[in-house]
Amino acid sequence: MSDNVRVAVLFGFGINCDRETAAVFDMVGGTSERLHVNNLVQGNRSLEEFDILAVPGGFSFGDHLGSGRLLGNRLRFALRDQLQTFVNSGKPIIGICNGFQALVKTGLLPGPESASLEPDLIQRASLTLNNTGRYEDRWVTLEFDSESPCIWTKGIQRIECPVRHGEGRFVMPTDADLDRLSTNHQLTVRYVDPSTESGSGLSDDLLPFPLSPNGSMRNIAGICDPTGLVFGLMPHPEAFYTMWLHPEHTSMNLEDDQWEGSGLQIFRNAVEYVRSQR
Amino acid sequence: MAVHDVRIEVTPLQTEGMRDVRGDVVRRQLIADHGIDVGIVRSICGYLVRSEYEAGSITPRVQDIFSDPIIEFGAVDTSIIHNTEFFPETPSLCVTVGFKPGVTDNPGAAANDGFQVLFPDENAAISTYTTYVFTNLPTTVDNTWLASTLHNPLIERAILATREDLSSGTASTITFPDRPTIVRQSPSIIDLEVANEELIRLSNDGLLALNLTEMQAIQAHYRMPEHQAARQSVGISTNAPTDVELECLAQTWSEHCKHKIFASKIHHIDTETNEDTIIDSLFKTHIMNPTHDMAKDVDWLLSVFHDNSGVIAWNDDWSVCMKAETHNSPSALDPYGGAMTGIVGVNRDILGTGLGARPIANTDVFCFGPPTWTGELPSTLFHPSRVLRGVHAGVRVGGNESGIPTVNGAIVFDERYIGKPLVYCGTVGLMPRRLADGRESHEKNPTPGDTVYMVGGRVGSDGIHGATFSSLELTDESPSSAVQIGDPITQKKMMDMILEARDACLITCITDNGAGGLSSSIGEMAEYTNGCEIDLGKVPLKQEGLSSWEILVSESQERMTVAVAPKDTEAFEALATLHEVEATPVAEFTNSGYFHVKHGEETVAYLPIEFLHDGVPQLELESEWIPPVQPEFKPPTSLDNTTLLEEMLARPNIASKETWVRQYDHEVMAQTAVKPFVGKERDGPGDAGLIAPIHGDPQGIVVSCGIAPRYSDIDAGAMVAAAIDEAVRNAVCVGVDIDKMAGLDNFCWPDPIESEKTPDGKFKLAQLVRANRELERICRAYRLPCVSGKDSMKNDYGVWPNKISIPPTMLFSLFGNHVDVRNTATSNFKKHGQRIYLVGNSKNELGASEVAYHLNEKNLVEGIGGNVPRLPEPERQLDIYRRLSKTIQNGLIRTAHDCSEGGLAVAVAEMCIGGRLGAIIDIDGIGEGDSFSRLWSESLGRIVVAVDAEHEIQFIESMSDADIHLIGMVTDTQILIIEDGYDELIQANVSDLTKSWKEALDMTGGV
Repeated sequence: MSDNVRVAVLFGFGINCDRETAAVFDMVGGTSERLHVNNLVQGNRSLEEFDILAVPGGFSFGDHLGSGRLLGNRLRFALRDQLQTFVNSGKPIIGICNGFQALVKTGLLPGPESASLEPDLIQRASLTLNNTGRYEDRWVTLEFDSESPCIWTKGIQRIECPVRHGEGRFVMPTDADLDRLSTNHQLTVRYVDPSTESGSGLSDDLLPFPLSPNGSMRNIAGICDPTGLVFGLMPHPEAFYTMWLHPEHTSMNLEDDQWEGSGLQIFRNAVEYVRSQR
Repeated sequence: MAVHDVRIEVTPLQTEGMRDVRGDVVRRQLIADHGIDVGIVRSICGYLVRSEYEAGSITPRVQDIFSDPIIEFGAVDTSIIHNTEFFPETPSLCVTVGFKPGVTDNPGAAANDGFQVLFPDENAAISTYTTYVFTNLPTTVDNTWLASTLHNPLIERAILATREDLSSGTASTITFPDRPTIVRQSPSIIDLEVANEELIRLSNDGLLALNLTEMQAIQAHYRMPEHQAARQSVGISTNAPTDVELECLAQTWSEHCKHKIFASKIHHIDTETNEDTIIDSLFKTHIMNPTHDMAKDVDWLLSVFHDNSGVIAWNDDWSVCMKAETHNSPSALDPYGGAMTGIVGVNRDILGTGLGARPIANTDVFCFGPPTWTGELPSTLFHPSRVLRGVHAGVRVGGNESGIPTVNGAIVFDERYIGKPLVYCGTVGLMPRRLADGRESHEKNPTPGDTVYMVGGRVGSDGIHGATFSSLELTDESPSSAVQIGDPITQKKMMDMILEARDACLITCITDNGAGGLSSSIGEMAEYTNGCEIDLGKVPLKQEGLSSWEILVSESQERMTVAVAPKDTEAFEALATLHEVEATPVAEFTNSGYFHVKHGEETVAYLPIEFLHDGVPQLELESEWIPPVQPEFKPPTSLDNTTLLEEMLARPNIASKETWVRQYDHEVMAQTAVKPFVGKERDGPGDAGLIAPIHGDPQGIVVSCGIAPRYSDIDAGAMVAAAIDEAVRNAVCVGVDIDKMAGLDNFCWPDPIESEKTPDGKFKLAQLVRANRELERICRAYRLPCVSGKDSMKNDYGVWPNKISIPPTMLFSLFGNHVDVRNTATSNFKKHGQRIYLVGNSKNELGASEVAYHLNEKNLVEGIGGNVPRLPEPERQLDIYRRLSKTIQNGLIRTAHDCSEGGLAVAVAEMCIGGRLGAIIDIDGIGEGDSFSRLWSESLGRIVVAVDAEHEIQFIESMSDADIHLIGMVTDTQILIIEDGYDELIQANVSDLTKSWKEALDMTGGV
């Protein structure tokens, strides 16, 4: 088997972060391909050809009827078997922003109650309009649950990156639902106050706007499924692949070897995970 | 198969933690815009589904399509408003807003797409509506007024239901917006052998916007025997045009498409200098010739003026292009739809450049009336705050949903824009220098026999007469059919597909369908091969029954016209199918010399290509410059400059637009290295956009703009010079490669043709002459070629003497190379101890300045006249800019900010805000004029920089003999102190300045 880690980066129907998402996988040693959703739906291509699936950000179907919903439906109804097989065979999936919304609405996230159960594609959570009512582009500070099973976030404690969404407020019907995810360490990444010490920023108490840009329950920015293979988040780590994308890089006096952005490690983790499983 | 209408309603759940944000936004915006609290507002989204499926079969799947099971409740064929679980008490008022028949309903189209996944029915249609529920409306709020804030009657219907209506069961419900059936009319023959008055009447009644000379030129064409013979051979009326031909000529010859004023012969008189000359085309003389001269000295100007945008070589592998457009008239009628079609329209110009460029950045510049306007407002105009919200939303949705970052822009306010807002939308594009088959991608190369496809959306009755309508002044009778709503997702799909087709080398020629529709797009492309044959019967329609001329000139959105060689048509169509994009062959290129239009077998238009494109007679116009008399601005003698600084920072023209700009995605594509807001709290002003579009490669592209409309109150020439200098200054602030930058001139003028309607036309034309002369002088000196431009020449509202004309306004957009985005600068002060320098000299130039307008509005002074900022030595200025840009590229300077509205005082204050740092400044010796002038004067050519102590000597050396002044030091005191020698002029807390600057235009009504 070749050493290639093949990454399918979906596009079409208004997905628009496909190019940069493909680029960052290539930067960390993956071999990406931008793949139109219909190539899978029409059967020209199969998810089997790939080791990683990325559902990038964008405005699939214009976010009408709720962000990610119609793309989620296309995946749920047309690709149900392929997706289940993909997850069951231990292959990682990431959904970023609109991709996260789509994975939540397909039911791949947060997924069934335990890692021993097969993905059932039942929707258990949602992402809804920001409390502000506004779409906004702003940088946030994120902190990760170090005990999360998520294979994408190993070794990452705190990063900054931009959010760019109008519907990023993560909600579940009851506290018990959130407690269950919390116990399973599926609340992988949350918005934190940057003035807190790195490693001790996570909090269930709602942060004020704009520290939490959307009013998410428990400041949730992203979650994983019980296996840790499927990961979704509203912020855009791919948009911080290099330091020159940081809003304050002109204040930093960086040396030549200090220009890697801290968003890149997420993608490197997945590519290395795939290699480690061979 | 029976057809059923099924009503589905969805409302947010009211359980713990769930919110009705849509409703709450309505409440907050009414507080922000009108100071009225309407109490709790709830929302219901409605879908009217017309299909072969009955309610019973749809009901079990409602949560799969229409309502989210976690956050929403959905109901079929019942009105949620009567559901006591959600509305235990009958509300005060319900306002239901839906579209009028034929108006683009994007949520409806998306819902239908989702519906088809589970309920296949190719004839299904879905129409959407929103109900706003006011649970406890104060009795002081007028129901009709409230409804008027929630819909635009031009495109939407509103149904009101009061508490009484709801209780008594008499409330009416909204129904499917059925379009009246229309029957196709056969082409009619227009007799032009009539009196001159009748020719004028034909033009006016038909919204053709052609003058008598032009109508006579058309009349003459049909009298010529050789044309009559040719026409006979194809079986079309021999000696008179069809309505199709007349409409086609009107579109092609419109001011919008042909720029007749810029191409006119002008008799210009200057009463100051006694000049009396003839100018044969302002465009050729002052814009095209200078650029062509500059093209002799550089090798990077690839394509200028003739394509949809100007193209420059960026490096060996990639070229970059840019175009800016205005969408003023549509935005006045429907701010949301007008502005959205503006941005998605200019995106298509980029996609239609060469063999197709990929849009990589948007710019948006708006000119509005003051958002706090409390004066008179003609009944047909929207309040400026409504225009601001609508235009902003349209551009936001258009840009964000297309996945194109908005990296630069501006918002300018002046009372005169109440009559006509200006909405400038620009786009930068990127394309490979060569395609895989070796063709250079900036050149089109169609051959006769190529198939011409219409790709993307369908043709409807929307958008008929946009080009001719924008060539007329706005009146109460302006047609609603000229208004459209864009569909960014249909366009995004088309864009994805076309870029793949380009890279697969399937395209020989491409252009967008904008003004003039197929008539313009295919007509222009047919010039390459000298002919084409179109079959209008093949064009897919939104509704049946459109007449031939309507199909030909409709400006329905989201369409490109693409030519494909016969051998590639199969691959092209397969790609379209994959992307779910409609691509229909509608024409073929020929070399017949004719624009030949058929509808089925019948020839409905047969026009020589040459006559179509070059037949329009040149206008002859009169221009006379008499300098306007403006009472001189004399600053009051006693004034607290600290208070004045806080007031100036809150002026809408200066205040932070962060609330608005943050709603644009400025970072999609992961390339934006200088963002619109910068600094410690990411809320200081960015001077120019800087992007590095090739992932991993630090070579950048700078995008900036300049605009200074009020200087036209003294001299439109000064206005243009200031706009160009501002664009360059902004670009220099981020370290642009000064030897590779190009510009775009976008003129928006009031009607400059003297007539009964416009008795001051000669003066307005003289303003245009002076503007163009300054454009040439500054651009030549700056070695800054204009590569594309546009003009909009009828920006007036109403009828003389109650006419509101905009101030003559030129937006100058700039795009340029950047060597390495890692070495750039931002406006925020970085740290205590940085030394602050002013680059450039201050002069006593307070004429038409922001401070002059401010003190006038406060009735503290009379008049804004005096010295308007000028640029007497642009060559010397360029040298200063070159040196400063180099120091930024060398990494010596990382802090630079442009001095513009509000002068030095405002510039330094903004740098303190961005860094959350103080500064101590001394303005003694920085130039001429008293201390008031040195604080507030808007002299051009000035940039404030801060340099770290260890780089100071290198900085001074590299600036050489350029005019630099050490003016102070950055401090960690959080206080800005400005002195003039021993006199303290300003002492202000940075937190107070920040508050003034950020709150004025917040307009969120809370969070």
